[in-house]
Order: sequence, then C-alpha cells, then structure tokens
Amino acid sequence: MSGNDINRRDFLKILGWSGVGVAVAGCDRPTTVTLEEGKEEVVAYLQPEEYVIPGVGVWFASTCQQCPAGCGVHGRVREGRVLKMEGNPDSPINKGKLCQMGQAGVQGHYNPDRLKKPMLRKGGALAEVSWEEALALLEQKTGSASGLAGDRFAWFTGTVSGHQSVLLSAHLAAMGSKNHFIHETINNAVVRAVNQDMLGEAMPRYDLPAAKMVLSFGADLVGAGASPVHFSGEYAKFRTGSQRGVLVQVEPKMTLTGGSADLWVPIRPGTEGILALGIAKQVLLGDEVKLAGLPENIRTLVTGYDVEKVASITGVTGDRIMRIAKLLKERSPSLVLAGASVEGHAHGYQSAAAIMVLNIVLGNIGKTVLPSGSSAFPQMEAKAGGTRDLLALADAADKKALDVVFFHGANPVYTAPAALGLNDKLKNIPFKVAFAVYPDETAMSADLVLPILSVHEDWGTHMGVYQPEQKSISIQQPLMERLYPDTKGFGDLLLALLKVRQVKEYESFADYYGYLKNAFAALPASVKGDAVSDEDFWGKSLQKGVLNVGTVAGSLNPRMVEISFPEFKSDAQEYYLVPSARLGLWDGRHANLPWLQEAPDQISKVVWTSWVEMHPATAAKLGVKEGDFVKVTSAQGAVEAQVYVYKGIHPQVIAVPMGQGHEEYGRYAKGRGVNPLKILAPVTDAKTGELALYGTRVTVAQSGRREVLVKLMGSETQLGRKMVSTVTASVFDRTEGTKNVT
Amino acid sequence: MSHGYLSLHGYLSLSGPVGSSGVAAPHYRGSRYFLMALAAMVLGFFLAMSSAWADGGTGVPNAVPPKGEYEGKNVEQPIEFPHNIHVDVNKINCMYCHTYARRSKVAGIPPTSKCMGCHLVIATDKPRIKKLTEYWEKKEPPRWKKVHDVPDFVHFTHEKHLKRFVFDNEGMSVDRVPEVCAFCHGEVKKMTVAHKVKPLNMGFCARCHEANKGPFDCWKCHK
Repeated sequence: MSGNDINRRDFLKILGWSGVGVAVAGCDRPTTVTLEEGKEEVVAYLQPEEYVIPGVGVWFASTCQQCPAGCGVHGRVREGRVLKMEGNPDSPINKGKLCQMGQAGVQGHYNPDRLKKPMLRKGGALAEVSWEEALALLEQKTGSASGLAGDRFAWFTGTVSGHQSVLLSAHLAAMGSKNHFIHETINNAVVRAVNQDMLGEAMPRYDLPAAKMVLSFGADLVGAGASPVHFSGEYAKFRTGSQRGVLVQVEPKMTLTGGSADLWVPIRPGTEGILALGIAKQVLLGDEVKLAGLPENIRTLVTGYDVEKVASITGVTGDRIMRIAKLLKERSPSLVLAGASVEGHAHGYQSAAAIMVLNIVLGNIGKTVLPSGSSAFPQMEAKAGGTRDLLALADAADKKALDVVFFHGANPVYTAPAALGLNDKLKNIPFKVAFAVYPDETAMSADLVLPILSVHEDWGTHMGVYQPEQKSISIQQPLMERLYPDTKGFGDLLLALLKVRQVKEYESFADYYGYLKNAFAALPASVKGDAVSDEDFWGKSLQKGVLNVGTVAGSLNPRMVEISFPEFKSDAQEYYLVPSARLGLWDGRHANLPWLQEAPDQISKVVWTSWVEMHPATAAKLGVKEGDFVKVTSAQGAVEAQVYVYKGIHPQVIAVPMGQGHEEYGRYAKGRGVNPLKILAPVTDAKTGELALYGTRVTVAQSGRREVLVKLMGSETQLGRKMVSTVTASVFDRTEGTKNVT
Repeated sequence: MSHGYLSLHGYLSLSGPVGSSGVAAPHYRGSRYFLMALAAMVLGFFLAMSSAWADGGTGVPNAVPPKGEYEGKNVEQPIEFPHNIHVDVNKINCMYCHTYARRSKVAGIPPTSKCMGCHLVIATDKPRIKKLTEYWEKKEPPRWKKVHDVPDFVHFTHEKHLKRFVFDNEGMSVDRVPEVCAFCHGEVKKMTVAHKVKPLNMGFCARCHEANKGPFDCWKCHK
C-alpha cells in the first residue's frame, strides 16, 4: 500500500463507506473487480483462432531464464495471457520438472516496476526519451563513424548462450573488441578451472545415479547449484536406486543439499582440501596395491596428512574422518564434489584440486566423473561467468580504459563488494548502456537505459551451463504479446547494433525472429530429423521447444597440479562470514518477485527479509537470542539484521543470505534487508582471480534492538506432537532388516 | 494438465489480452457466410418443429431447479441484443452462440464473426444490426457489460453443469437446453439483454447441490 497516499483514518472511512472491495483497492474510485452487474466488461474475440476456447489454456514450449541452467518450460496461455509455467518433459535438463524460481518467472513478466520507455541521463537524472533518439545516440556513440576504438568498448553480461551469444560475439568482432565480461555471483568458476587443469575439461558430467556414495564439500546440488532441477532429478535416482546412495555433506553452513544428507559435517571454512587429503590417506591406508598404482606426486602429497593433523586443522574429529573413509571404501564408485564454500577462499583452487585428488584416489574418474563431450555447435554453448570479470570491469574502469560499456543480464552495481569502489570507478566510463527489463541498480546508474522485452515476450535460443548426456538447444518463444509497446527484443537490438556497424551478413534480417528462422533452416540435416521442409522443422522445433544436437564423445585425462596450503591460524575473536546462496532470491536477481520473497528460506524459514544465522553456542557467547538485531562488521563495512539461531552451522561461522538489500529494483526489492556482498573483503583466489566469497572475517555485536523474526514454523522441534514420525537407525535396522546407513 | 502442442507462429497476431479483441482481418467470403446463415435458418426451422421445445414443457428430468430470486438492475449494453427474438421467436439453441459453455468453464460471448455469420444477410436494415455491422467493419468487438458473475474464489464450470443436466442426463434432449440455462440465468428467452434474476450466491448454489446430489465438498468450488 506504500504507493498510495492513504492513511489509517482514510482507510477506515473508505471501509465504512464502500465495503472491503473498494478499501482494498486503496482509493475511492470503483474497483474493476466486482460482482455488480454492468461494471466489468466482457469482450468477445472479433474472430477467434479455431483452437481458442475462452477459459481453456493452451501450452507453448519455451525456456526458463531464471538462472543459467536453461530448463525447458511449458507456459500455459489463456485468452492471450501467460499464466503458469511447468517443466517441459522433452528437455533433457529438467525432464518436465521446474523449481520455484522457474514457477515465479511469470511474476517477473507482470512485474509492475518493469521499464517501459527508454531513458537517457540528462543533467544527472534519467529522463524518458524516444527510441529514435536512443538508437540515434547508440549509432553516434558506437557506429562506424563514431571513431570509438575497439578495445575501449565492452559488453558486460550474465551467462549467455545460443544465438544471442553468436550475435553478441559478432557485434564484438564488428566493434574490434575482445572485451566480454561475463559475471555470475553464484558460479563454479574455480571448480571449472580445476577440472580444466586436472581433467582437461571444464564441466565434466557427473553420473550421480552410478555413484553409491556422494561426498559433497559444500556443493549445493539441489539448491543454488549449476543446474538445480537437473541435479534434483539425478539426486532422486541416486537415492532410490537398487542400493540407496549415501550422501555426506561437509560445509560450514548447511545448504539445502546439506539438509538432505545422511551425515552433515560442519567444518572450519577453508580447510575442506585438507580434509579431502586426510580422507584420501585413510582410504589408501593398508592398500599397497592402490597406493603403488598412483602417481608419485599424489602419493607424497597424501602421505603428509595424518588423521590427528587433519582433525586439528579442520575441526572434524578423527573418528569421523575414518568413518567417512570407511564408507567411501565400501561404496565404490563414489563421487566427491566441491562447491561454493570450497571455492570461496584465497586457496580455493588448491582445495578444489585436493578434492579432485580424492576422486582420482577413489578411482571415480571415468566411472562417475565422465567426459561430457562436445556439441557440434561450440559457438552456441553457454559462456559461464564468475566474479573475476567483475573485478576486471572495476579495474578497467579505474584505469579509464573503457569509453562505452553495454550491460545485459547482470547487476554489478548490486553484486560488487563496496571495497571494489565500483560505483565511483564506473563514473570513469562516459557512456554506459543498460539493456534491462527492471530498474535495477546497474540500470539506474547507466547513462542510457533501453527497456527490453521480458523473457515471456522475446525470442531466443539457449544452452544450459550444465549439459547432461544428451546435449540440447532450448528454444525461447514469446508466450504472449508484449505488455508495453515501447520495449524491444534483445535479439532485435543486437541486430540493430550490427546494422549500425554495417555488418553485411546481418543486414538482410528484418528482425531476430527472421534471423532465428533462417538460422534454423541452416542447421544440418542430422538435427532436423524427419522434418520434410524448413517450415515443418521450424514448426516442430517450436512445438517441442528443444533440439537435441548430438554429442561428440570426449575423454578425460587426469593430471596433477601443484597443491599447497597456507598455514591455518586460529583467531577466536573473529568469525568467518558466509554470504549464503539459496534457491529463491539467488544472487539477488529475484528479490523483485513477491512469490520468492514470501517463499520461506529452506533452512531458516524466514520470509521477506535478511537474517544473521549463527550456532546456538555462538549466540550464547554473544548473549543474543532469535530476533535480536546484531551488527556484523568487516574491515569493509557493516550490515545489521536479526539473529536466527540454528545448529546447522559451524560455531565460528556467521551466515548472512545473499539477495536482499537492494537500493533500487522496484517496490518489492528496494530497501528490504541487507546485502552481505557489500561488506566482503577484496580477497581473491590466488590462482583464478575469482572473488573469494567466503574469505571475509567479521565481528558481531549486539545493537540492542529486538523484533519478532518473521518466519514460518515457530519451533524447530515437533514438541512431541509426532507430526513426522521418526525411528532411530538401530530400530529401523532391526524392524526393516536393512543396513543402509552405518 | 493437457499440453496442446501448437506452434505459436500466427498465434501472436491473433489473440489479444483479456477483455480485448483478436485483431485478425476478417475474410469476407460471401458464399461461406451465406451457407452459415442458411444453416442457422435450417437449425431454427428444425428447432421450431421440435415438440420438446414447446412452452410449458414438463421440466428437466432428474433435476430439481434451484430456488431463489434476485432483483437485478437493468444493464445498458452497447447494443440492446434481443435474446427473445433469437431464442423465443427463431428458436436458436443457446449453445449455438454460447458455444464454449459445453467445453469450458465459461460460456463465452459469441465472437463478432459469429453474429456476422447470419447478419451479413439477415435483418441488415435494422438499426441494431447496422450498429453491429459498424463494429465489424471497424474490426472492433462490442464491449459488453458483464451481468452474471461469481467471485474469483469460486470455481464454477459451465461444462460440468451441462454434462450433468443435459448431455449425461437420461431422457433429456439437447434442444431443451434453455430450460437448464434458466436454472441460473432465468428466462432469458423472454428478455432482450440479460438481466440477473437469480442470486448466484453460495446458498443458491448449495441448495441446488443438495437437492440434486451435487458434490458437496468445500474444495469442489473453492479451489
């Protein structure tokens, strides 16, 4: 109601006059939602399509764009409006399933704060301009006659793939630039680098169902991971196969995947690699044959990590280490994974490499870690991003090395730590153009804002960042007509930009739809299958929504890399800050979707705000209870939020979820909660240059305020009500006769 | 959940948002519309001959009509559509125009193209038809005012009610459908534009469901 000038007294007056219906609408004009006769209009079609039956939905295939996984979707369309998303069963990525972020995509499309007109910064403030003016300015600044040197131009995007990526690369080539910054805060860039160096492939395929055990170091498979829906399906197969797989999760703060584990092990942040080597030593103990079969450098590395030493560094007890090693020995093949909590340190690469060593020691390469092969269309494959390019942008801006930067699908002004000073450095870039759907922080600080179509109004093709065995291109098609006439498609704009540079190849295309149709006609016969004509193939592709493009077999060649760890010092005064990610608000891009704001966090059940998660022992030490406001201070800044106490966190860790604390981004996101990314220390992974998201130390102090923390579920226990009945493992073993969990 | 596999090509240009029109150009094919008009007249003739249609019929079999009255207001419509001429005089079946009633939760206002199917040749000199023709030529459907409605938290479906009282109802013939429609809409055949004469509230629905052994779970309607 904040948008309406109505106070409580007016509200009650209106309520008295006209009944609840009018009062809820918040003003005294008649509401359009009424049962009263003759108030609402009901308008028939002039001449309907034959398949249109008012009140009955028709489903069209498209692609979800809520995260880089690229799930196939079916959108329900009724009377020309898209109403509901479901998974597309033909997609090899999500196989008919969809997560809550995908479901909420439709709310992004109808978001009332969408950008509706181009805006240009005039005298410090953004003012609406016409498309003619905006495009003329683009031509003036970036056209062939602009005199703009190629290396002074850059694109800054989120993950891109498909034909948009092809056009974007073509535009960069036409500009004579190599500057394509790709930024994703939730990424697996360090693991990819390790995979590339140690296996020869950045994103191998993980065969979860083939594994009898998964040991995950902070890899949030079913939550904020590379392909949440795909791995949820794989996880289900892993758990329900002939022998139920065992999941052991080692991490500083419980993730959604950790919540599903058989054994959840809290660990001192940054020591995961040490634990992996300690487990490797235990696995090899007494197995002379296996030990002899390993390369010399692995043998020497592993032998240095005795149980006692590992236990003292990691805080994981010796018998637990031996128990995990025993499980791994019994359950082969297994799969060991590294996730965000491993990557996010100055030695993240070393830790992830140590974890890969454990995979090699266990003989998992070629059994559960498989070559993903390549597709026949490398130019369409997803260009995955990380945080290194965020730092690179700040650096380039600082050095005044860029004159024009185009932003699309990323919000660096929000995700950049304050220590980077990005806001100030961006002022050195004279012309910043945002191709944006929403008024996010980056768009609002740009010089020219171009409103683009929502994902449900635009054309596109996509390849997910993680490709399962069957590689595929997923098609995005409009599910309804554009809501705002003054918005343009991203592909259409890319074509317009290419035309500005007089790239002959693209001049014949009237629009992106025409370009895509032409590109589909040019695909090889192997992809076209049984289609009898190009038109037939196009129609069939749109119906199915997914093109299976075949996989060229690859191979993995395990190799060792240099692994060394810093000395781990213990400083009890400070806490490790975990900016936790969740399947919901993601990196903050979904904070403007009320459905995801009101969907409780999977672990804490908190809604609509930020919180500071800590262990009961930590809370006792600090003398705080749930609901108390605390100030979390790093050398780079401070955030203040309410305490949430939970056992699923290491006592030396403080977690503040990512996603809130927007300064812009529309009515649902703005001014809500805090953004932990802002107080991160500018620490990077030494090898890859990725921002070390988990490398910040903080102090915590009570701020004296207290409010009820708004969350679902008032109690962590069932208070003896037996809503979910449980039995102990020994009772289950006795009565059901299984021996699943040791 | 039924997934209709239909490509979107062509779709975009044809369907508008709720409460607005399709925008396809009408195709004037005289012969086609003449045949449609002829069909309508034949249908009318057939219905006129039907004995079951006679006024004062014996009532719908296996049904207890719902009880309840409501004094609705007169709603001014863009065209004073005469239901009485169509239904009472010319004996056109309700579902000839409200064709979606048996297939969807909504009965649907007939598309303008359906009106013009007959009125390209019938009664073209009447002022109301002239007004209709103007709409058609402007490619703009009339903006009718809604008369019968239930709240959004009520899931009412025409399809299921027609199935129960007409199509799956032994001894009931389709040409007597106006008697079933009249349960909730009153004697529309005696009206020009629709006039709300039944309360359409929960008591009205519930009494009928009780009398006719309809489903009585809360979530049948409130879902």
